[in-house]
Amino acid sequence: MMSSPAIETTKPARGRTFGRVLEDHLPYLIIAPAILILLLVGLFPLVYSLIVSFQHITMTENDTSFAGLMNYAELFKDTRLWAALGHTAIITVIALPLELLIGFLMAQLFIDRMPGRQLFVALLVLPTVISPIVAGATWRLMFDVRFGPVGQILSFLAGEPVRILWTVNPAYVYPAIIICEVWQWSPFMFLLLLAALSNVDQSQLEAAELDGASYLRVLRAIILPAIAPVVAVACLIRGLDLVRIFDIIWALTEGGPGSMTETISLYTYIQGFSQFETSYTAAIAFLVIALLTVITTLVLKRMELAR
Amino acid sequence: MTPTLLPSRKTRILALRYVGAIALTLLFLFPVYWLFMISFKTPDEIYHVPPLWVPGQIQFSNYYVLFKDGDVVAIANSLIVAGTSSIVAIILGTLCAYSLARFGTGGENLAMWIISQRMIPPIAVVFPIFLIYVYFGMVDSFFGLILLYTAFNLPYVIWMMRGYIVDVPMELEESALVDGLNRWQVIWKVVFPMVRPGLMATSVFTFVFAWNDFLFALVLTRTEVITFPVQLTHYFGGQSNFWGKIAAMSVLGTLPIFVAVTVMQRYLVRGISLGAVKG
Amino acid sequence: MADVRLSGVHKYYGNVHAVRGVDLVINDGEFAVLVGPSGCGKSTLLRTIAGLEDPDQGTIAIGGAVVNDLRPRERNIAMVFQNYALYPYLTVKENIAFGLRARKTPEIELRKRVNEAAEMLGIGGLLERYPRQLSGGQRQRVAIGRAIVRKAELFLFDEPLSNLDAQLRDEMRGEIKRLHHEITTTMIYVTHDQVEAMTLADRIVLLRDGKIEQQGAPLELFERPRTGFVAGFLGSPSINLIPAKLASTDNGISAVFENGGTLALPASRVSSLKGMEGRPILLGIRPQHFSRATGGALREGVMSYPATAELIQPTGTRTLTTIKIGGVDAIAELQAHDVESHGETIELAVDLNRAVLIDPASGEVIS
Repeated sequence: MMSSPAIETTKPARGRTFGRVLEDHLPYLIIAPAILILLLVGLFPLVYSLIVSFQHITMTENDTSFAGLMNYAELFKDTRLWAALGHTAIITVIALPLELLIGFLMAQLFIDRMPGRQLFVALLVLPTVISPIVAGATWRLMFDVRFGPVGQILSFLAGEPVRILWTVNPAYVYPAIIICEVWQWSPFMFLLLLAALSNVDQSQLEAAELDGASYLRVLRAIILPAIAPVVAVACLIRGLDLVRIFDIIWALTEGGPGSMTETISLYTYIQGFSQFETSYTAAIAFLVIALLTVITTLVLKRMELAR
Repeated sequence: MTPTLLPSRKTRILALRYVGAIALTLLFLFPVYWLFMISFKTPDEIYHVPPLWVPGQIQFSNYYVLFKDGDVVAIANSLIVAGTSSIVAIILGTLCAYSLARFGTGGENLAMWIISQRMIPPIAVVFPIFLIYVYFGMVDSFFGLILLYTAFNLPYVIWMMRGYIVDVPMELEESALVDGLNRWQVIWKVVFPMVRPGLMATSVFTFVFAWNDFLFALVLTRTEVITFPVQLTHYFGGQSNFWGKIAAMSVLGTLPIFVAVTVMQRYLVRGISLGAVKG
Repeated sequence: MADVRLSGVHKYYGNVHAVRGVDLVINDGEFAVLVGPSGCGKSTLLRTIAGLEDPDQGTIAIGGAVVNDLRPRERNIAMVFQNYALYPYLTVKENIAFGLRARKTPEIELRKRVNEAAEMLGIGGLLERYPRQLSGGQRQRVAIGRAIVRKAELFLFDEPLSNLDAQLRDEMRGEIKRLHHEITTTMIYVTHDQVEAMTLADRIVLLRDGKIEQQGAPLELFERPRTGFVAGFLGSPSINLIPAKLASTDNGISAVFENGGTLALPASRVSSLKGMEGRPILLGIRPQHFSRATGGALREGVMSYPATAELIQPTGTRTLTTIKIGGVDAIAELQAHDVESHGETIELAVDLNRAVLIDPASGEVIS
């Protein structure tokens, strides 16, 4: 069969013990439990939801007949839904650049070594790891018109009593939410950008310095391209978080006044758990997933292009 | 140039940076300070106009009330749920990650599907999960919540641990295989000690995620397994906020996180950036 | 006893055919070096012997027993890796003892063997340290120690010295050779470095594109390469390959270069080259086979050839001199003061007795 040197060999019987079988199938055995759970708790509800979104189930009726695209068509007529999407967009579009900018400035402050830097970084990061519900509650205390320090400080600065109902006055609810959001998440940006900035090739910076390049030029030509991938990832992670913002709003305004700060997550929650519009809620969920998928894909595409 | 007694330019910049750093830190930590401080105030001090920036004396009655009324059970529930689900997610997720990293099981597609699970917004699945849980009678049960958080954290654990495992030189494992270990022993005696720091960091993050979650807990708990964020919202209500309770409960719910994260400083960047930045 | 026999071994990685039918016998106690350029399949072959890769075809036998179905741990082999593969969380002692612990060796025996090995390698004082506290050379010793204590039938080395700096590499090379003299176990050693191959091997197995190009004792391969590739791979600097044509002359056969220059081939070659006149060849002359003509009579087969030194690189005892021969660049390794400056024209003595004639079409050596 094979042209081989004539050799006398003994062929030991292949042991087929139980342990050996376990080892043979190890790659699949160890991956199975996790995948099973993900299918059960991750994929199954999605599939179930997809089916439900094509049915007529509401609080009062368990009508599982085929509804076609009715629920999806309904989405386009639902002004409260589009308002909620608008609120979400406003918060995202304002908070994200603010967090990025503040995070970048903070990182600039700490980029050069200084004694005690570790301690500062550790302290500054604390808001990020707090439960968003706690963050919301904290700012609710801070913003309180009578017993909170924010009004007190503003009054002191203005030299006259300032009375702002932060979580009730339509003019101030968004600033309140965004202040809380930016307070909690700028440190997140700070941490990532600090890491990214420390990884910028020092020899390039030194070469630029020798060439007498101005700071702005160095920033544009060396620093920004070097940290761009991290910025993209940070924005993606934060962007996705912002689009599904729920906890902070729940704690601060509960969507109010009226439905003025109702975000898409809050609206979906209300449709599901207050109105029990089962099928319609499922349709909203898929709208949200579709939106997020599009955004994520676009961002990832651009990142790949930039590479 | 004659030597001057003025501080050099470098020193002045450093001093300015310290001023900036301290101001920034005070600004960001002030709300945290406020929360802590309120938790030690008496009702009179809490509802004092203008607000008092320091409590008259440190007293623990706000905490005492939480213990007396049994509200701290929520903290215990959170510990059980977040702790157990983290341990399960870490064990199952790390094994899964090993399979992905070393055998490429399921190829790139499986790995991408797993991370995409992480991207799915909770709000999109919470309602169907609720319906399914109602059907199976798992609402307001430890098992239900632990299973949910395990599933919720698995993609994160798998993604992070895959990164840490890929960083372990293959030769270490091969050397052990030649030296007499089987694959299971290699995982336990070589891979595990090599990734232990990453494993600890990842555990802390999974714990924090489960600990901080509000939406799932809100929907899937009633009375038996209420976690601390849900308990906290029970104190909100119109103008009659129980501020002392809110503050005390917040502090109780925040301290473990502070401790855990401070210990894990070194891995913070990699952890919160989903491994995109090694830090 | 542990000889190693491979027959018809093939290995694919997807579409890449990494090992293409290797038949090889390595005798008990032999030091075999698998050598070749990167991507030639030498590491894959070694890993297949170790059981870290399964061959797609063919059999592997160690000590007379086919081991295809055996796990690495069941093959009674020890392996030293390029990056040392030391466990950073274990002390040197525990690193060395790792394989013994895996095999549940009694503590007394374990300690004895670890101490023996450490003594042998001169790392007795480092046993309580951690790998990060060691230098590269010390780490490599620990890695070797880990293999020695196993008292395996077969030692495998996968480029163990390539992470060390030049001086340390020379030193460790000597140690490995000494080790083989002391423990006389069969060893298979993979390297891309022809110097390591020449100095260490009892048998060199030169691989190219997944096949054995030639195997044999080092000097056999060096002096009697079967192909131009072998001639070019072994020896430093590389052999000079000069395009020429064979032509009949009054008293024999000459190599005629493209620029018209000629070198008469020794009389001993004439009979074997008969009838090949007019054929193109590559004339292979090693740099060491050039010398400066002293003006005296030249030995049989040594021809003189005038050349201009275009570039000189003194290395101390020797001076590498780039010359033009037959219109192409060639390197001659001359004595230190044979040539002093660029542009100097000198008379070279070319030893054609040891020249290699290669058929440019097939790459094979014309014997």
